[in-house]
Amino acid sequence: MKGNCIKVAVVGNPNCGKTTLFNVLTGSRLKVANWPGVTVEKIEGVSSYEEFELRLIDTPGIYSLASYTIEEKVTRRCIIDQDIDVILNVVDASSLERNLYLTLQLLELKKPMVIALNMMDIVKERGLELDLHRLPELLGNIPVVPVSAAKKNGIAVLLHAIVHHFEEGPIEDVFQYSNEIEEKIEKIEVIMSAYDPKHHFKRWHAIKLLEGDEEVIRDHPIETEILIDRSDEKKVIQEKYGYIEKIVEEVVFHKNKNAHRTERIDKWLTHPVFGIFGFLLIMSFVFFITFSIGDYLKGILETILATISQSIEQMLQALQVADWMQSMILEGAVAGVGGILTFLPNIAILFLALAFLEDSGYMSRVAYVMDGIMGKVGLSGKAFLPMILGFGCTVPAIMASRALETEADRRKTMMITPFMSCSARLPIYILFSGMFFERYAYLVSFSLYLLGIFVAIISAFLLTRRRKEKDKDILLIELPEYKRPNFRTIRIYVTTKLLDYLTKAGTTIFIASLVIWALLHFGPNGMTTDAAASFGAILGKRLVPIMQPAGLGNWQFVVALISGISAKEVVVSSITVLFQATNLAINSGNQGLQQRILAVAPEFGASNAYAFMVFSLLYTPCIATIATIKKESMSWKFTIQVILFQLILAWVAAVICYQIGRLLV
Amino acid sequence: MTLFDGSSGSEYRITGIYVAYTIERRLEALGFNEDTVVRILTRKKNGAMIVKLRGTRLAIGKLIAMGIEVKEASQ
Repeated sequence: MKGNCIKVAVVGNPNCGKTTLFNVLTGSRLKVANWPGVTVEKIEGVSSYEEFELRLIDTPGIYSLASYTIEEKVTRRCIIDQDIDVILNVVDASSLERNLYLTLQLLELKKPMVIALNMMDIVKERGLELDLHRLPELLGNIPVVPVSAAKKNGIAVLLHAIVHHFEEGPIEDVFQYSNEIEEKIEKIEVIMSAYDPKHHFKRWHAIKLLEGDEEVIRDHPIETEILIDRSDEKKVIQEKYGYIEKIVEEVVFHKNKNAHRTERIDKWLTHPVFGIFGFLLIMSFVFFITFSIGDYLKGILETILATISQSIEQMLQALQVADWMQSMILEGAVAGVGGILTFLPNIAILFLALAFLEDSGYMSRVAYVMDGIMGKVGLSGKAFLPMILGFGCTVPAIMASRALETEADRRKTMMITPFMSCSARLPIYILFSGMFFERYAYLVSFSLYLLGIFVAIISAFLLTRRRKEKDKDILLIELPEYKRPNFRTIRIYVTTKLLDYLTKAGTTIFIASLVIWALLHFGPNGMTTDAAASFGAILGKRLVPIMQPAGLGNWQFVVALISGISAKEVVVSSITVLFQATNLAINSGNQGLQQRILAVAPEFGASNAYAFMVFSLLYTPCIATIATIKKESMSWKFTIQVILFQLILAWVAAVICYQIGRLLV
Repeated sequence: MTLFDGSSGSEYRITGIYVAYTIERRLEALGFNEDTVVRILTRKKNGAMIVKLRGTRLAIGKLIAMGIEVKEASQ
């Protein structure tokens, strides 16, 4: 025992309510980092009970302690290597049979362990009853504590059990395999003792060797081939499930009395035809509230920011600050960062909706619903999940592509995910569709979201054709019970995302705004008040001939797009700085900026604006995304291919949209 | 027959799994073992389906459905 500090690893299946419970136990004092060597998030939190301090580590959700996925490897290393004192196994009581498989594997480690039996409310709702006295008896007498993470029930009892059991020490063998397997385990244990007499978890490792686990074989270069048969793993798994069936038989009563609510909802939401309509309906509702309620709140925020901006101006004047300094602060920093802050409500609502869909259990249905369409373009329905996450932010979406089975599938998904309109592109749509499409602003923005999905799917199709891959759709995904989303989980999710956004506004966007301001106020002859003679203008003018066919033949737009590579929000802050709108709000909203754009580019109309938005949607993603693609694909060649592919595609699409638009208008 | 030939609402008993090695292991860890009963909740024409086994609901694609050999549960 190391003082009064207990290290607890929280382990469980995906969708067992692990994160909700973790949040209840630790509050919001979280430390988020990556697991060593991989980009899986590692979340740590602290809790206390009596005189003990509990350090909790949240591990990624897994079904098995095998080593087929990164999540499994990470979790395994955490509980074996790190000095974890207690394993807190979160078990979904409504899906006991499957959850207990991981539990049995964990028990084989013979570490102190406590089970939190979550989702007891669903068990009651279904008319089931669990024998909570018999269950621990069948699991080696470890504490089994019924909790409701959502309603915060049973938390004190759980903490008590962790502390109490920690002092009690390890547990005994829970169940015996058949004689054939037990004999093999025993023999391997003997060989292992000779190889490393001080070996911890001998039985667990022996079972893993029997299962042919690659990692364990690599770490234990011992001769066991004569003993092990390829079918042993199958037997080990089946015997575990055999024991689980026995547990379920003894512990669960009144099976299947009530019809499942989830199945009634799924009848519609996963219906071959209505499922797709349902999905489109849900997504259009999400965007509708993002724009309608978001824009209303945005208006209020704009007024507040305008007042702040004006008082800063008055203060600067009162302090008699030099003109160039005033210009830098007001036209550079305040305009740039302020312009971005006004979009906070829209982005908050979008993330709120995504969190709601995720936590309610709907998100994984999307993989099934979209499987048919995705299958036609050579991708598994699972690839649609990273794409949906891409509506929030491309970086985690690219990371989510890891869930796909093959390298080819992962790369294809990384190639197309940036085409999904991330929340940073939303301000561009709101600004330009608001200025040039007025009443139809919402429809125009929605069309860009659809265009993104369309381009992504077409690209996937073409990439599959080019590589002549065979149909390899491997859809395998759990569909969790529908549940009322947990307020706390959603709150933590949304606040983290908004803090990220604010941090970005305070750092990347702040610096980018100042750089853009400097580019516009300095030229070959030093400082200049004429932006047309600035470095920015010189750079932009060089590229104007290329952008002319897309209706973007003004250097200001070119510079704004280039600056957007640092972060897509910067396109908007750059536009405000470039067209010297001190703040979007000061000039009575969009109209002021629109007038300034028209003063510089009188021809600029709806088709130009649409081409600009299409280009913004499709071109090179931000630096953070490029870095993530490089990290995940581990190839510069592939990363550069992605950048070029997107740049060329964006140009072609923008030119087509502009030229067609010009014919129509 | 394989699960792919099954119809919505019916129950089947698994008799064998014939898919790529790693997927077979993952399916087994999820509880797709010989003699386990699977119920097809809903399916699409293309072969993707939602099944229920051991109290868990899973969506599986055509290739997996075609790789799971079954017989009618009543047999």
